[in-house]
Amino acid sequence: MGEKEITIALAGNPNSGKTTIFNNLTGMRQHVGNYPGVTVEKKTGVVEYKGYRINVVDLPGTYSLTAYSEEEIVARNFIVNERPDVVVDVIDTSNLERNLYLAVQLMELNTPLVLAFNMVDVARKAGKIINTELLSELLGVLIVETIGSKGVGSQELLEAVIKTVNTGIKKKVEIKYGDEVENEIAKIMAVLEEQKIPTFNFSIRWIAVKLLEQDADIIEKIKKEAGEKYQDIEKVVNSSINHITSIMRNTPEVIIADARYGFIKGALMESYKEVTREEMDRSGVEPDKSEKIDRILTSRISGIPIFLLIMWLMFQFVFTLGKYPVGWLEIGFEKIGVLIGNIITHDLIRSLIVDSIIGGVGGVITFTPNMILLFLAIAILEDSGYMARAAFVMDRVMHKIGLHGKSFIPLIIGFGCTVPAYMGSRILENKKDRLVTMHINTFMSCGARLPVYVLFAGAFFPAIAGNVIFSIYLIGVLMAIIMARVLRATRFKGESEPFVMELPAYRMPTFKGLFIHTWERTWMYLKKAGTIILAMSILIWILFTFPVIGDNYSQDYKGQIEEVELLCSSGEITVDEYNSTVSEIEAKMAGERLAYSSAGRIGHFLEPVFKPLGFDWKMSVATVSGIAAKEMIVSTMGTLCSIEDSDVLSTSEGAGEESGSLKEALGKDYTPLVGYNFMLFTLLYFPCASAMAVFRKEAGIKEMLFQIGYTLLLAWTVSFLVFQIGSLFI
Amino acid sequence: MRGWGYRLKDRGPGISPGMRGWSHGRRIKEEVISPVSEPVSTDSTDKKILTMADAVPGKKYRITGIHGGCKLNSRLCAMGFVPGEVFHVSGASAGGPVCVVIKGTKFAIGRGMAERIQVVEEK
Repeated sequence: MGEKEITIALAGNPNSGKTTIFNNLTGMRQHVGNYPGVTVEKKTGVVEYKGYRINVVDLPGTYSLTAYSEEEIVARNFIVNERPDVVVDVIDTSNLERNLYLAVQLMELNTPLVLAFNMVDVARKAGKIINTELLSELLGVLIVETIGSKGVGSQELLEAVIKTVNTGIKKKVEIKYGDEVENEIAKIMAVLEEQKIPTFNFSIRWIAVKLLEQDADIIEKIKKEAGEKYQDIEKVVNSSINHITSIMRNTPEVIIADARYGFIKGALMESYKEVTREEMDRSGVEPDKSEKIDRILTSRISGIPIFLLIMWLMFQFVFTLGKYPVGWLEIGFEKIGVLIGNIITHDLIRSLIVDSIIGGVGGVITFTPNMILLFLAIAILEDSGYMARAAFVMDRVMHKIGLHGKSFIPLIIGFGCTVPAYMGSRILENKKDRLVTMHINTFMSCGARLPVYVLFAGAFFPAIAGNVIFSIYLIGVLMAIIMARVLRATRFKGESEPFVMELPAYRMPTFKGLFIHTWERTWMYLKKAGTIILAMSILIWILFTFPVIGDNYSQDYKGQIEEVELLCSSGEITVDEYNSTVSEIEAKMAGERLAYSSAGRIGHFLEPVFKPLGFDWKMSVATVSGIAAKEMIVSTMGTLCSIEDSDVLSTSEGAGEESGSLKEALGKDYTPLVGYNFMLFTLLYFPCASAMAVFRKEAGIKEMLFQIGYTLLLAWTVSFLVFQIGSLFI
Repeated sequence: MRGWGYRLKDRGPGISPGMRGWSHGRRIKEEVISPVSEPVSTDSTDKKILTMADAVPGKKYRITGIHGGCKLNSRLCAMGFVPGEVFHVSGASAGGPVCVVIKGTKFAIGRGMAERIQVVEEK
């Protein structure tokens, strides 16, 4: 027996429990991707049921099918262009009137529809009585009661879907918008017919309604199709809008929306009753738990402190807790590297496998514990309903710099690591808000930059190192605020998303929901970002390895090592002396190797660019290596300084805390002004290659190049000014 | 907003009421983000027109008009903000977004937007 394949789309308001229904239907058989051309997440899954192979597409959660946001256009286009066999609209039964608004819009599209009345238990408890049979009759669609959190109703839902596929639309319900509007709709339909405008997959009546509503997407489409003739259509539409507005004292879209609600109210009149509504209305404030919690969490006095506390906890959760598994993984990969390194004898191949491939994979994997914890934290905040409150509480502050309240969350994460911060920017629905947040996130000093600050502040300002480091962090925050305003006023001008946001009732997150949320996002990170990060690390390895120095060292280091070996074996020097001399020589070799490589040459080549900032070639090379990872700046400076100054050993690699001699060397080589300036530059130029890989994934290559370009320009300009002006005084 | 704004503009010389400027894509955007133009009083009384931003906790209000530009209007309508609807404020924070409960759901709404929703006190 051949399987019959059908596609269903899940639509529904945000917070209607749509995702839970989707998870119940498809289990772990999900695929997360993006809709082509937009950053809207597209989730699909498959379920086999009674000989049917049902593809389930989770549409973005929307309140309506207008062209208000990317999400709404994506949802609408999917329904219209892909023609799913059935659209399942998930409805929060406690909020029938508002949730049915979307259902009515779906009915207007003439799409086969099934309604899932979700969280029906909560609604019943609140004293809401629904006659689903009667309502189903009135609306001409099947209605299934579900309780997503308990997995109730999934089978019935699938049954209803199959039934609808087989019977088609039972009863076509046409919503009337009142005589005034209907007259104008008829006029517009007439002109559309007269001009023979193609209606794509929509009905002509629907197009007429959308023109009255001034739907930007449809206007654009019609304009394109009609060409010259559009003026005639526009004339009719505009006179209709004027007519309705002058008579009804509200614009058509408001009148039409009102008519839709009127239709819903009519349908609910007989099929729906609320027992407690009157009592709730009389008291003015509903006495539920959410209200009580909100009185504390969103209060004017305690709102922001509690938010900051939660942010602090989240930061600790992600980075302090994450430190342990990250540490274990790092050690693990190091061990694997050593193990494999011992097997392979060829220097170059060993270096390729150990340094680039294992190092690269390790780089990806070692981020993962942070990612898992971050995604888990975000899932908890989202699923519990706190995320909306956080945005509400912070909106006043963030609004001043042209950002959304939610932007605060990725920015905080940025202090830990920029990579998850970019991923975390996904919580912002508006594209411009998201991009600006990503573009300024780099100024939040990530953990990898701290070793650089520790080294330089320790070298130049030993007495006040803490304050100096703090000043760098502070400058970063100030820079973020300034750049947010600048970007908002220039490249991302206009249409800042007006703030309207549902504050959903607090809910206990379910384990399953959290797990799936975290898992799918982590998997996406590993799959998409991981591959790019790996490619980047191979590229960087090539830059740091080729051309190979071979025997082109300035001195005969190998000969020197052999000499020392002789001295040691003859007992003229102790083993300790031997070891220190050899590591000294090896450090010099490493320095020369680096200077000889492409990365070193690029650094040398760029020296004139950095000269006006007071940087020499070593700093220039270190800046280039900082692209691989900012903490590499410390080890590179260590390696390079060891060429000239034999006291500086390559032990300075890594943390930088024990690199006392490197600090001395730096103190000798540079003035404090240059040292501070270098920290500034490190703060301001774009974060590491991994972060850029993620940026590209999230925002596209154009935005990534913009990020690189503008941060470099900014870093250079600021450092230039600081050095030039500072030199006048010091 | 559009209703008010346009009627005023349409009086200007040389703009035929039929053109209304929709062919200029940029103007639409400006309309959307510009603050509400002083709404012409529709009531015969001289009382100051109330907006959602003026609403205080403990009282109930009814929406009488939404003037946020067509895009915003559609959005607000979809969320349940339609003329005739009764709402109350739930712990508004000064200067920040207003918290309102409408059709049984709590919404945070930006002050700028709230100023474009006309209301009357419901007795």
